[in-house]
Amino acid sequence: MNTDMVKALVVKDLTLFFRNRFFALITVLGLLAYIGIYYLMPNTVDELLAIGFYAPDLPPVITRQLADEGVVIQEMGSEEALKAAVVAGDFPTGIVLAADWTQKLATGERAQARIYFAADFPADLKESYVILLQELAFRISGRPLNIDAETEVLGVDRAGAQVPPRERMLPILAVLVLVMETMGLASLISAEIETGTLRALLVTPLRMEGLFLGKGLTGVVLAFVQVTLLMAITRGFMRNPLIMLVALFFGTVLTTGVSFLIAAVAKDLLSVIGWGILAMLVLMIPAFGVLVPGAVTDWVKVLPSHYLVDTVYQAANFDIGWQSVAGNLLILLASAAAFFGLGIVVLRRKFR
Amino acid sequence: MTDEAIIADNLTYFYGQLTAVDHISFSVAEGEILGFLGPNGAGKTTTVKLLTGQLVPKGGQATLLGLDVARRPKEIQAQIGVCFEIANLYEQMSGVENLKLFARLFGVKEFDVAALLARVGLEGRGKDRVETYSKGMKQRLMVGRALVNRPKILFLDEPTKGLDPASAQAIRNVILEERARGATIFLTTHDMLEADKLSDRVAFIDQGKIVALDTPHRLKQQYGKRLLKAEIAGADGGLETREIVLDSPDTPALMETLFSQENVITVHSEEASLEDIFIQITGRGLI
Repeated sequence: MNTDMVKALVVKDLTLFFRNRFFALITVLGLLAYIGIYYLMPNTVDELLAIGFYAPDLPPVITRQLADEGVVIQEMGSEEALKAAVVAGDFPTGIVLAADWTQKLATGERAQARIYFAADFPADLKESYVILLQELAFRISGRPLNIDAETEVLGVDRAGAQVPPRERMLPILAVLVLVMETMGLASLISAEIETGTLRALLVTPLRMEGLFLGKGLTGVVLAFVQVTLLMAITRGFMRNPLIMLVALFFGTVLTTGVSFLIAAVAKDLLSVIGWGILAMLVLMIPAFGVLVPGAVTDWVKVLPSHYLVDTVYQAANFDIGWQSVAGNLLILLASAAAFFGLGIVVLRRKFR
Repeated sequence: MTDEAIIADNLTYFYGQLTAVDHISFSVAEGEILGFLGPNGAGKTTTVKLLTGQLVPKGGQATLLGLDVARRPKEIQAQIGVCFEIANLYEQMSGVENLKLFARLFGVKEFDVAALLARVGLEGRGKDRVETYSKGMKQRLMVGRALVNRPKILFLDEPTKGLDPASAQAIRNVILEERARGATIFLTTHDMLEADKLSDRVAFIDQGKIVALDTPHRLKQQYGKRLLKAEIAGADGGLETREIVLDSPDTPALMETLFSQENVITVHSEEASLEDIFIQITGRGLI
């Protein structure tokens, strides 16, 4: 393998990439935008539960007790004011307790309560507010529940130290950077096929493997430099820099393979963008799962980007060791090698 | 090493059911210019691809500089230059950058880029991006690119097609200089006049088969009719044209009659063009 030839190819591809105004602009603006989005996202997690109350009869001691347990009680002047506040989004829920509520509880009568939920309140959490009211009722009536509940947090207890939204966003931004570069590289290769420059390259002493090495290096360098820059600026390397670097490197190899596949099926820039967006959506699904826990289920593990996203998320936010992400990294490496190899096979057929 | 730079032996290639190159055999001597002529779709470009290692033949063998093209394509490609029919340059790079890139791919260390640009008439434009070049300038740069490794064999696919006369002449001059240097040139064209002027021999290819191969002169002798055209003063004061076939047994008598009995105003000899011969052999034109 003649390294000078491969070097010449990489320099040529990088030159062409940055002379393509569209991709050069997208690359720079994209990186700035991702960094901007990161810093605009909240860096703390509000662990307090805010509830609007209209309960003229509620003893102040109860509200103080609830506040100690992380619940913020906002008392409203009327039921109408409470409903307006819920509709306006000031609270996700509003609870109305009638004026004789405490008295009825004390005498053992059936007491009525009404709970208002905002339209987008998750259905599976509604029942928990009914339980909250029952708990409240028992405290007021002085008859505690005859239950011993033992609680245990598995893993690191993140109470008071939840992962803030901006850190949950980081894997999405990383995948976005990688996929944007995927489109850039696919566009370069597709243009080589379309304009016939590839034919000119292949009647020189340059061998097919040298060509793929050159293209692969270009893709990896472009993506790796950018994603590393993003992580450095967003302090993604603070906890586990080596694990992060290895995961990102495997991720760039994976997306370079994807770019070979896109270049093999695309005919021009528009089709590169079309296929690229499809690839981006699929690869980003695991990242949405990190941003919105519970949004995706276990099937997401069939996507190779899951292992990148999960490793990036863990390495950026927790003090982990190699052992805890070894499985992820191995699967990511295998997927990267498989996609890279498949990309070469498919693209090679098109080159002929 | 053989004296034959290119040997095609029963070379065959087909795309699915379509036979593009049909058992063709020919050879080109070192330092010779072979004009490879035929209409669009005749098999010219496929032949070039087979000879330059871009395609592997389905049958037969191509040998360049004594090496089997199918088995040792990269060794051969290091010693040849290829100028494609369609401009396939890196448009967002300058002329100099294009030439330097290919020089590196050929492993050429000592390389006078300014001299090469001057040879193809692009002095002063080397630093401009190729996207700003005219069609003729791009074609000349393509020829320059094919010369970066001082090739032993030069493949030129329609190098002057659609060019202005000055650009076409510049390219013809380079072809003749390369031949003088000792390079073998495989010139694919359907410009019969160009082939006639430049080629030592021409091959006609039609529907994948070589239908004639010889020097232009001998092809004309073999297939063409030589004519004498005379304009004579007519009885009504106007001009009339007489044609006498030169290779007929009656020619001397007809000539004598013409000059003794007619008032001859002008006389021209005319020989068949390669295009006439191609039509005569294949029954159709070159377009």
